[in-house]
Amino acid sequence: MDHIQTDRRRLLAGGAAGALASFLPASLLHAQPNDGKTLTIVLPSNPITIDPINQLNHDAMVLGQTVFENLVEYDVDGVLRPQLAKASPTISADKKTYVFELRDDVTFQNGKKMTAEDVKYSFDYLLDPGNKAARRSLFTRITKVTVLAPDKVQFDLSEPYGPWLYFLTKYMGIFPAGSRKEHGDDYFKSRPAGVGTGFGIFEEWKPNDYISFKKNPNYWQKGLPHWDRLVVKMIPEDATRVAYLLTNQVDIISAPPPREFNRLKTMPGVTGGSRPTLGGALLMYTNTLKPPLDDVNFRKAISCAIDRKTIGEKVYYGLLEPSAVPAPSRGWWYNAEADKELGFNLDRAKEFLAKSKYPNGAELDISIQAEPYLLDTKDAAIFVQAQLAKIGVKVNLKVYEFSVLIQQAIRGEHQMALQVFMSPGEPSYIIQVCLTPDQVLSKSTGYNNPEMNALLAAAFAETEQEKLKDIYGKIQTLAARDAPLGVLGYVHASNLWRDTVKDFKVNQGLTMFVGETKV
Amino acid sequence: MFRLVAGRMLSSIGTLLFVGLALFLLTRSGPGSPARIVLGADATQQQIAQFEESHGLDRPVLVQYGSWLADVVLRGDFGKSFVTGRDVAVEISASLPVTLSIVLLAFLIALVFGLAIGIAAALNPGGVFDRLARLGAVVGLSIPAFWLGIILIRFIAVDLRLLPPGGYAPLSAGLMVHVQTILMPAVSLAVYYIAVLARMTQASLQEALRGDYVRTARAMGLPSWKVVAYALVNALPPVINLAALSFGYMFGWALIIEQVFNVPGLSRALLNAISQRDFLLLQGIVFLFTVIFVLANLIADLVNRTLDPRQRSTA
Repeated sequence: MDHIQTDRRRLLAGGAAGALASFLPASLLHAQPNDGKTLTIVLPSNPITIDPINQLNHDAMVLGQTVFENLVEYDVDGVLRPQLAKASPTISADKKTYVFELRDDVTFQNGKKMTAEDVKYSFDYLLDPGNKAARRSLFTRITKVTVLAPDKVQFDLSEPYGPWLYFLTKYMGIFPAGSRKEHGDDYFKSRPAGVGTGFGIFEEWKPNDYISFKKNPNYWQKGLPHWDRLVVKMIPEDATRVAYLLTNQVDIISAPPPREFNRLKTMPGVTGGSRPTLGGALLMYTNTLKPPLDDVNFRKAISCAIDRKTIGEKVYYGLLEPSAVPAPSRGWWYNAEADKELGFNLDRAKEFLAKSKYPNGAELDISIQAEPYLLDTKDAAIFVQAQLAKIGVKVNLKVYEFSVLIQQAIRGEHQMALQVFMSPGEPSYIIQVCLTPDQVLSKSTGYNNPEMNALLAAAFAETEQEKLKDIYGKIQTLAARDAPLGVLGYVHASNLWRDTVKDFKVNQGLTMFVGETKV
Repeated sequence: MFRLVAGRMLSSIGTLLFVGLALFLLTRSGPGSPARIVLGADATQQQIAQFEESHGLDRPVLVQYGSWLADVVLRGDFGKSFVTGRDVAVEISASLPVTLSIVLLAFLIALVFGLAIGIAAALNPGGVFDRLARLGAVVGLSIPAFWLGIILIRFIAVDLRLLPPGGYAPLSAGLMVHVQTILMPAVSLAVYYIAVLARMTQASLQEALRGDYVRTARAMGLPSWKVVAYALVNALPPVINLAALSFGYMFGWALIIEQVFNVPGLSRALLNAISQRDFLLLQGIVFLFTVIFVLANLIADLVNRTLDPRQRSTA
């Protein structure tokens, strides 16, 4: 009888094991498109478009950069290098004419050879106001694009404006002449197969799930990419994104949770990397037209009362590089003296406050974003609130959705707003957008200083880095003198990936670059 | 029966019209324009105005509502998503089967376990099983579904590697693979409703078992199982009503569960529509939820009518 019972137990155990066997890891693979030479990466949000001329989300730019390429590329280290052009452009003495010589070995994914006509067509399309490209405003100084030869194209600008080259990688792409009319805008938005020169050919978009690409077998950079298929999954929930990585369902994730990052990157089978971005700033839009921020000494008091080092190290676990000026401390244009002027010093903060119109302190509303983007600004806001209380400034925190907060800043309806602002990573963008008139975020600060405008115009006309460093240094000195824009620091771009992934490098521009990645 | 169905259909149409109008007013009264989401922070006021004009957002709200209603009623056209540009009906039909499969499995689990535990506890009042059922009900009611989801991912997917941490495989990928992907979301969703249904079944059955007819039946020597079966028929109507409501509510809770398990279902599409101010998609999905809720209640009424002869005679 005992024998029979034992057998019955074995039978039951065997049955249970059999049932569980169907749930074993091997069968997990069926649920995810991750096999062999498939590289699977994860974004923290749902993209709206693949079209680079309408792309808003820096994480999602990996989609456009897989399909489309540009004349020059602003690479993962923040270095400008030729891409579809043979070399850097020849620039005229008045800095208003750029001539590019194109590579002669590039074909589109549809097999058509890329020529100067395609480049002209792409830019003409972008610049036509009727096409309503969201990124058109960055390139409106281009007045004319001329085809000089099948492999040579000339750009004429209305005024000197060097930064436009740096904006190409994120906000532009070259597509075949006539392709927009042939396929329509929706095609570029959601299924741009065959219309780029990039290493990946669009394959499928499964809404709210993933977008996939297959290897471009005729890619002009021979040997690339190293994968056969790229799957870009969308997983908004932090814990789930991490679980996918830990269970080997995906290869690389972006935006790992800051609190867990240091622990996760040491877990078996997982590697992590992080580096400061050159263009991702944690900004405090200080509305200089509204009291009490209408007083320069009050603004300086606020700036000097905030301990950015502690915010970077303790609040954001090392994922925020402190800076009090609109320049990252690792950028070649950074001015340490200007940073020191606005940096943490409680005694100076009290001195500035005493000199201001509000020597006894004041009350202030800070608008913060509900949805975390790269960092959760609510964490910093609470710390700032506590720090400003030490100098007698009472802070009320007001939480808004992104769309509401950005409207406030654009219309100048806020007093102060805290937000992570992602820019291409070159020196002029944040200054231009926030501190010069007639720009989208001009009213976020309400600042308009002819001296600043003149310095920026001089920077646009300069191409030599040493001279540019001097000009941007002066801009930061001016920003330190007038304190028109609060800066807490520059965020890190960080990624976690499986050990099986090779040759992946964290991009200073945040967007994952996977063209050279092996799996 | 026909009169009941026709009457309920008419009142349901009124409910749907009201919900449609309320949705319109609520979505349009909130701050934040879809244009700002679609065109981004850098968009100029002129671009915003162009977008609103081309999507009819510059018209008075009641005019927009009338136009939307006419399109839905006359052409079955729910419009196009502001964000993706695709038909709302296409967007919904792509994600509805995902949510439906999770909710149906969760409902089945809740029904089977809820009824079984409730009946077992009611038949053994004061016993060990009754106490365990009560404890289980308190725990089930207290555990937030999203937390349970994260815990399941942690232990079942990450540590034991028995199930995938998230995602979704359709039925066409194979029954086992399909069930693997929806099991943890369905269990997370079902636990609360198991507790609710078990408590209701237990209370209702205990009440029925105290009835005079049960005492009479027992005195007449009817087998115990037959007595319980009679009592159960009388105890079921409130349980069915609750189950129908639970089925509707599950679509709402699936909002969180789909986010946790990264399931590309209807609820996740709804969440995106809210954050992206995609009004037409938002309206379409909430409208569908309302229809499901109304239908679930109608079915509950019909089942109750079948079980309870008194309802048939009053109808």
